[in-house]
Parts: sequence; structure tokens; C-alpha cells
Amino acid sequence: MEKIILLTLEHLGLSTIGVLFGIAVGLPLGIMITRRRKLAGLVVGTTEMLQTIPSLAMLALLMMWLGLGNSTLIIALFLYSLLPIVRNTYTGLVNVDTGLIEAGRGMGMTRLQVLRLVQLPLALPVILAGIRVALITAIGVATIGTLIGAGGLGELIWLGMKNIETSKGVNMLFSGAIPAALLAIACELGLERLEKALTPRGLRVSPESMKN
Amino acid sequence: MVKFSHVTRKYGNTVAVKDLNLKIAGNEFVVLIGPSGCGKTTTLKMVNRLINPTSGTIEVMGKNIQDLNPVTLRREIGYVIQQVGLFPNMTIAENIGVVPHLLGWDKNKSRKRAAALLTMVGMDPETYMDRYPTELSGGQQQRIGVLRALAADPPLILMDEPFGALDPITRETLQDEFKRLQTELHKTIIFVTHDIDEALKLADRIVIMRAGEVVQDATPEELLRHPADDFVAAFLGKDRLSNQELQVAQVMLENPVKAYPEMGMAEGLALMKRKKVDTVLITDHGGRFLGSVSVDEVNAKHRSFNTLGEIVDQDTPAIEKTAAAKDAFNRINEEKLPYLPVIDEKGLLVGIVTRNNMVNALASVVWGDHNGSS
Repeated sequence: MEKIILLTLEHLGLSTIGVLFGIAVGLPLGIMITRRRKLAGLVVGTTEMLQTIPSLAMLALLMMWLGLGNSTLIIALFLYSLLPIVRNTYTGLVNVDTGLIEAGRGMGMTRLQVLRLVQLPLALPVILAGIRVALITAIGVATIGTLIGAGGLGELIWLGMKNIETSKGVNMLFSGAIPAALLAIACELGLERLEKALTPRGLRVSPESMKN
Repeated sequence: MVKFSHVTRKYGNTVAVKDLNLKIAGNEFVVLIGPSGCGKTTTLKMVNRLINPTSGTIEVMGKNIQDLNPVTLRREIGYVIQQVGLFPNMTIAENIGVVPHLLGWDKNKSRKRAAALLTMVGMDPETYMDRYPTELSGGQQQRIGVLRALAADPPLILMDEPFGALDPITRETLQDEFKRLQTELHKTIIFVTHDIDEALKLADRIVIMRAGEVVQDATPEELLRHPADDFVAAFLGKDRLSNQELQVAQVMLENPVKAYPEMGMAEGLALMKRKKVDTVLITDHGGRFLGSVSVDEVNAKHRSFNTLGEIVDQDTPAIEKTAAAKDAFNRINEEKLPYLPVIDEKGLLVGIVTRNNMVNALASVVWGDHNGSS
């Protein structure tokens, strides 16, 4: 039992680290391509291509280059998280009403202030949705990390599958698969709530509460 | 306050603004108007450098704005846009406080300023400060849009069709309110609109533009009296030229209740009852006005006479339709008349001015609504 908890935490840790790298690179990249629209297609296209590489192939390729271990898995998770984060950051920002951006500029905001005070707060729900997708994907991909010698719940699942004809093997498979599934669901729900909590209040107001 | 010298703005081969020369004095309310694509918005946006001129210079408060940092410049100029542009992620107080925030005011001072401004337009600060824009009606939102431009007390305010998206009633209310504010605040205002009524109502000076050039630059009065060319005249609309001297024909009610002299007494009574009036106007078959018969007359005399024509009051005062509306109002007031029939130059009955529609017409003049004339 203790092992399951430790592996679950490790699994979450690896996924989170991968996604954090994804945020660290994807968010600025998403912002940057709103300023250089010509690059947007190229950047989003590249991250899309990365996304289409089957996870097993991706891990195998990275392993050949970087060797075995957690860091190789983290890099794979990072690459997978780029697409949802870059794309949602970009979409969220460009969908902010241009009238608002012009109002901000016309009142004397610098570009950075327009970004910080207007664009990012308004795009935040969309960006967070991207991060949520990235994390869920990462939790899924991390289950095969064990094949390149990384930790996480994948270890139990793969060992269980190898011994599937014994009841011990079946138990082992479930003790890996169920926590992985629960972890994904918990992250989904948790981030959904966070998204709601961080949505600017003015955007959450329902039409019913409008008063004249 | 603002001076354009030989300002041209091109987009590729298209000239949006062509060799514009324009001086705007302090405390002046200047309206830029013209059909879409005439360059009015481009002209406005060049003042706060949202658009830079292709050639020529613009001075604001004596300084060439090309030498100024656009961000600093914009913080010193109020800016109101058509789409309202309130930030939905900020409360009303925060929205009003945007420029103060950018200028580094402390939060307390900025909130106090927001409260004072809200009070000025009759919105209770307690109620509205911490609400979000989506919780306000369109008219309230645009009030906040205007207050936001006033927050840091800039001497110059640019307004880009600020009331264009509002419904007509709200628009008028806001125009009136803004006009009142302007008389108290003495700002220099450059205001873009395509609504000539709005321009005539608000402006000290109207600059009519077409295809990037100024067609006429005049006070509303001059503009109405001496439109520079057919384009301006068409833009003003035909009726409006007589606007200054409202005529009886423009305020009267058409189709008054009328009858021919041979109508019987009982029939006349029934007519008055049906139309809910206490007087009918009598005309001959050619429509010429003969006089009036009141319900009291009919009641008093129906035993001795047979037709309305026999009891018609031929001394009923009437007024010509080309007379000044003012005269009709004066006569109704001074002679304590309940109404005044309106006749044309041939003596034909064309309408009636009553106390009631006089009050309406007066009200529309007082509150600046020109509907009596259109």
C-alpha cells in the first residue's frame, strides 16, 4: 500500500514537472507568437507535429538520444504539454476583444501593461484549460515511462501485465491502473475548480444577476 | 490646445487624411463628422498617436507630439471609445482608476476620485464601485466609459463615437448629461460622430470632413445658415435649415376634428363624443375654415337651431401655418385659448395647435430634442 502511494506521488511529480517545463516555455512562446503572427502557424504546427508522435515512439527516440531514466520521461512530457499550452495561450490572447486592447493602449498602457492588466486576466481561463489538458495527457503518457526506466505507476501496470495469468499479477495491474485513473480524474477536477476560482469575477457574472 | 499642420495620413495609396490644418482652442468642444471613411477617426487617433501621420505635425498643448513618448502623452489625454471598452475583469472603481493607477496614484486616492465622479453622474458610489461592468446596463457602462476618461482630470478628451452603440433614448440622456458635465468641467473635447443631430446638439464647432479633407469648419449656427456646398446641405438634411425658427406647421397636429356647416346638432354632438373632443372646427366643402362649435353651444342651443352652421362662432381665432411657433404659443398662453386652428395662405384648415401639443413641443425644445421639426 505504501508503495502504491509513493508511486502515485512520483507519478504526479513527474507529470507535474514535465508540465511546469511546458508552462515555462509554452506560455512565453504563446505570448510571443501573438506579437509575431507569421510565426504562429509555424510554432503551433511544430507543437502539433510533436503531439502526433505516438508516445511509445517518442520515448524510444528520446531514449536513444538521452538514455534511460526520469529525465528522458520528463522531456517527453514537456514536449507533449507544449501544444495545449502554446495553442491555448495564443488563442486566449488573440480572442481578447481588440476594442479592449485599444482602450488600454489609448489610455496609456505600455504593451506589457496591456498584457498584464487586460489580456492575461481575460485569457486566463483558456490558458488554464490548456494546462489542464497538458497535465491529464502527461499522467497518461507517464504510465509507459517505466519502459525507459522511469518511475511512477507504470511499473505496477507493466509488471502486472507480464504476470497477468497469476492473481498476484492481476492485483498488481489494478493497483497501478486504478490510482493512475483516479489521479487523472482528481487532477481534472482540481484544475477545473482552480480555473473557475481564477476566472476574473466580472467574467463569471451570470446574465440573471444583471441589474439596471 | 491642439494644432494640425499639413497633416497627411496614407495607407498604401489610399489617403485617409489629406493636408489637414486645424486649430482647436482650449475649452472648445469640436465635433468631427462625416460619412464613414472620411478620415474623422484617423484624425482623432493621430492626436494620441494611436495612428502616426505620414507627414505634417501635430501639436498638443504647444508640444510636437512626435517628440513625446506616446505612453506619457496618452495618459494626459482622456480617451473614450464606441465599444465602451470597460475591462470586464476589473470593478467599476478599478476601471475608472485605470489611468490614475498607471500614473501611480495610491489606491485610496483613486477610489475617492472614482466615488466623486460616480456621484457627479448620479450613480451611487456605494452601490456601483465594486460591481463589474457586465452587471451594468449599456447606458451605465458608457457613463463609466466617460468617467474613466475624466479620472485623471486631463485637459483634453478624445471621444470616438462614444454614444453610437446606445439606444436612442439612452443616447439622448447621455448627451444631455455630458453636455451639462462639459459646461461644469471646461474640457477641450474632440468628438467623432456620424450623427449630425448629435453634432448640432453638442458642438461649439463642427468640422465636416469628406474623403480626408475638411469641407466646412463652422459653428452649428453658421453651418445651418450657410452650408458650404450641396454635400454639407445634404448632410444636414433639408428640414433642419428652418430649425432655428420653428414654424407652426412643424408643431401642429394634422387632421383636427372637423365638420361641414350643414351637419345636424345631434350628429355634431355624437361626433364630438366619438372623437372625445369638446369642439369641432367647421369648414366649407372646399376646406376653408369657417369657425368652431363647442359642445356647450350645442347643448345650450340644440332646441332652437338645426345645424352646426347656424351656431358657428365665426370669431374663432386662427393662425397661419407659416407663422412662428412661438407666436402660436404666446397667443394660446396670453389669450388663454384651449387651442388654435391652423390655416394656410388660402384660408384652408390644415391643422390645430392645442395646449397639450404646445407643451410637448416646448419640452422638446427645452430638452434639445428636435422631433418637433422632423
